[in-house]
Amino acid sequence: MVAKTEKSAVDLLKSPGMTSLFKSLKLKTKQQELLIRVTILFLVYVLAFITRLFSVLRYESMIHEFDPYFNYRVTQFLTQKGFYEFWNWFDSESWYPLGRIVGGTLFPGLMVTAYLIYRTLQFLRFAIHIREVCVLTAPFFASNTTLVAYFFGKELWDSGAGLVAAVLIAICPGYISRSVAGSYDNEGVAIFALLLTFYLFVKAVNTGSLAFALASAFGYFYMVSAWGGYVFIINLIPLYVMVLLITGRYSMRLYVAYNCTYILGMLLAMQIRFVGFQHVQSGEHMAAMGVFFLMQVFYFLDWVKHLLNDPKLFHTFLRITVTCAVGLGAIALGVGTASGYISPWTGRFYSLLDPTYAKDHIPIIASVSEHQPTAWSSFMFDFHILLFLFPAGLYFCFKRLSDATIFIVMYGLTSMYFAGVMVRLILVATPAVCLISAIAVSATIKNLTQLVRAKSKASHSASGKGTISSKASSKGSLDQSLPFQRNGAIALLLGAFFLLSRYAIHCTWVTSEAYSSPSIVLAARGAHGNRVIFDDYREAYFWLRQNTPPDAKVMSWWDYGYQITAMGNRTVIVDNNTWNNTHIATVGRAMSSYEDEAYDIMRSLDVDYVLVVFGGVTGYSSDDINKFLWMVRIGGGVFPVIKEPDYLVNGEYRVDKGAAPKMLNCLMYKLSYYRFGEVTTEYGKPPGYDRARGVEIGNKDIKLEYLEEAFTTSNWIVRIYKVKPPNNRW
Amino acid sequence: MPPKSETHASSATTGGTTAQFDPASDSIDLMFHILKVLPFSFLRPPRLRLKLPTFTLPSAMTVYSLILLTYFMVVSGIVYDVIVEPPGIGSTQDRFTGAVKPVVFLPGRVNGQYIIEGLSSGFMFVLGGVGIVLLDLALDKNRAKSVKVSYASAGVASVVISYVMSMLFVRIKIPGYLR
Repeated sequence: MVAKTEKSAVDLLKSPGMTSLFKSLKLKTKQQELLIRVTILFLVYVLAFITRLFSVLRYESMIHEFDPYFNYRVTQFLTQKGFYEFWNWFDSESWYPLGRIVGGTLFPGLMVTAYLIYRTLQFLRFAIHIREVCVLTAPFFASNTTLVAYFFGKELWDSGAGLVAAVLIAICPGYISRSVAGSYDNEGVAIFALLLTFYLFVKAVNTGSLAFALASAFGYFYMVSAWGGYVFIINLIPLYVMVLLITGRYSMRLYVAYNCTYILGMLLAMQIRFVGFQHVQSGEHMAAMGVFFLMQVFYFLDWVKHLLNDPKLFHTFLRITVTCAVGLGAIALGVGTASGYISPWTGRFYSLLDPTYAKDHIPIIASVSEHQPTAWSSFMFDFHILLFLFPAGLYFCFKRLSDATIFIVMYGLTSMYFAGVMVRLILVATPAVCLISAIAVSATIKNLTQLVRAKSKASHSASGKGTISSKASSKGSLDQSLPFQRNGAIALLLGAFFLLSRYAIHCTWVTSEAYSSPSIVLAARGAHGNRVIFDDYREAYFWLRQNTPPDAKVMSWWDYGYQITAMGNRTVIVDNNTWNNTHIATVGRAMSSYEDEAYDIMRSLDVDYVLVVFGGVTGYSSDDINKFLWMVRIGGGVFPVIKEPDYLVNGEYRVDKGAAPKMLNCLMYKLSYYRFGEVTTEYGKPPGYDRARGVEIGNKDIKLEYLEEAFTTSNWIVRIYKVKPPNNRW
Repeated sequence: MPPKSETHASSATTGGTTAQFDPASDSIDLMFHILKVLPFSFLRPPRLRLKLPTFTLPSAMTVYSLILLTYFMVVSGIVYDVIVEPPGIGSTQDRFTGAVKPVVFLPGRVNGQYIIEGLSSGFMFVLGGVGIVLLDLALDKNRAKSVKVSYASAGVASVVISYVMSMLFVRIKIPGYLR
């Protein structure tokens, strides 16, 4: 991998040594360059795919995490029942007793893509399971993204920058984190669609071609069908157009590109059921519409200016028209919002603009770990040297301002801000960061090689003819040159390759260590340095599938809902599609109440089994006890009987002897620590020593009255309890 | 041509409003006369040069330096600092002596930080970027040789320093880094 990065960097220089080497082959320079470029692109394409296969090699071909299990289940349904059944699917197995209209509440792009790939392979007589297709969809699209990045870089700067961008994005951890084999999630295809839309739009702005604008609209359609992040596109492009208008870069090309993309993109996006009429009815999409009308006003003004031929009169006319247009727009927006036709911004959107909003108002958004704000080390982890290259690349963009570089600067800045607000949005920033960094790398290395070559040329000519050397000196390339210019440049080139190779090493390390664990199978280092695998999740889900009645309802915290329905094939109360806050709060309330109160809630929800995740034996820290405060908060947000201070001691969250009495007797505590007091987990510690939190638990004598233990996995990670039927009345 | 006559009229009216200071006695506006008599008989208007604020676009490099500042704030995790409100510097208790030692880096957690460590590493990232920019500036043909040499050496130095320091920070932060 290191070699490849360096190689590409070397190749794009077309250094004289390379050229002379290739002269023996009878190809023209242009052809040689093309050959090298295609070879590099092909290598990068393969590289982007294989670097994402760590998890498949290490574990097995399986789906990762939480959300991908839902996508996988839906894709299975689609392949078995066909498209129309899929569209009309009412899923009664989740959100019991409400159910979920799956066809109308998801982005179908990912599933349809996997389905089409599957059918194509079937048609070509490759008989493979749909799971393999799902596992490898994300790496495949990551490979395609590198190609788009190449063309985008070429459009922005030159083909050298395009190649560097392709290499950088192929192995950038910020992107790999969401596109390893097995993470079958919307983002995997969405980043490809996002970058494709942006590339085609920039191309349309640069050329003014209707065809590219049309293609951009279709790219947008694919993006809308794949991921809710399309809102970023529909807000960034108008913002970009607005900036171009302010800086006086309005042109006919821009007019054609924006209008075509917006109108067609909007009409196409309305075909997605989940999005529907939001493009004309939701506050998040109003900026695009406003800019669309503003463009028309601009065009009209341009026409009037052409007719009037008089600057002063035109000025008054301009003022009146702009005031009227803005006023009308404001009135329309006000009336629309007041009458409820235009829906206000959603909480997620608002929390991006005002990061403190979610913390204060929407605990269910703030509770998700990937919605946390980003610390510096996450940036370092995901970008490495791109963090230095990004500001430098911005500088080069500002040095050579054009419509295209303005676009990438705006994309980079807005997405970097969003990445700072939410960890998961580093993903959106990654393509921009890679492209801008590629510009910095390309420009710097080009400068350095020019130094190397200029000096050698000058010395050659000096040895040849004195007159030319004097000419060269008069040009100012000799006497103004730095000391040790040539050697210095070579040393700096070597330094640049060193940095790039460190980047490649870092990326590979991060991919293999941090981003390739399926999180459904846990791995830990054993006492002797060997790898210990905990496969408790699947053990528990298969137990559910085999040993419970098919219509059993399982209550768990919402994180595990998708997995239980996909692998355990049982009905759940809440799952990761957090569309009904009250329902989740009910579960949170049950978990944080005393057993008898919780029993009434569970009876009312028809619950048969309760599933909790517990890491006290293995030291697995993201278990339900550590998530418990969020259950209290979310439950308390709807049912004020649940109060967070009841579970804390002096603002501190404890599970040992000093814990709050309500904490020691709530359902979650009892279910997690039932019979735990008898177990010695670590040598030299008292029984009931919780390894995840490093304390001895406070309530070792737990008796359950309304529930009974049904199953506990071999490492105690998942514990399942059966809800007893009510006592006979006599 | 009707448009031309319109321009005459408009220019006349604009001229009238600007020239309202000196003659203006032939104005038929009643309000104007009242205003002239009532407050301005005993009030002398100060000589102001009020202009509508004209909006000029800042130069590209001004915008760039602003952006660099924003970048510094984002990368050093200001949003994290605002929302999570971590302390500036952490502290641990020594296991044997019981003395409280300050800890600058929150070790082991990738998605967590103290304020100071975020700022210092954000500074390092910006420094590295500035170093590369300085390297490019050193190639500018219109500068004196000494300036170019100093630019180049400063650029190389800052890139090296920022890379070494940020790698050091990462090793403190993630003890098992690259192993």
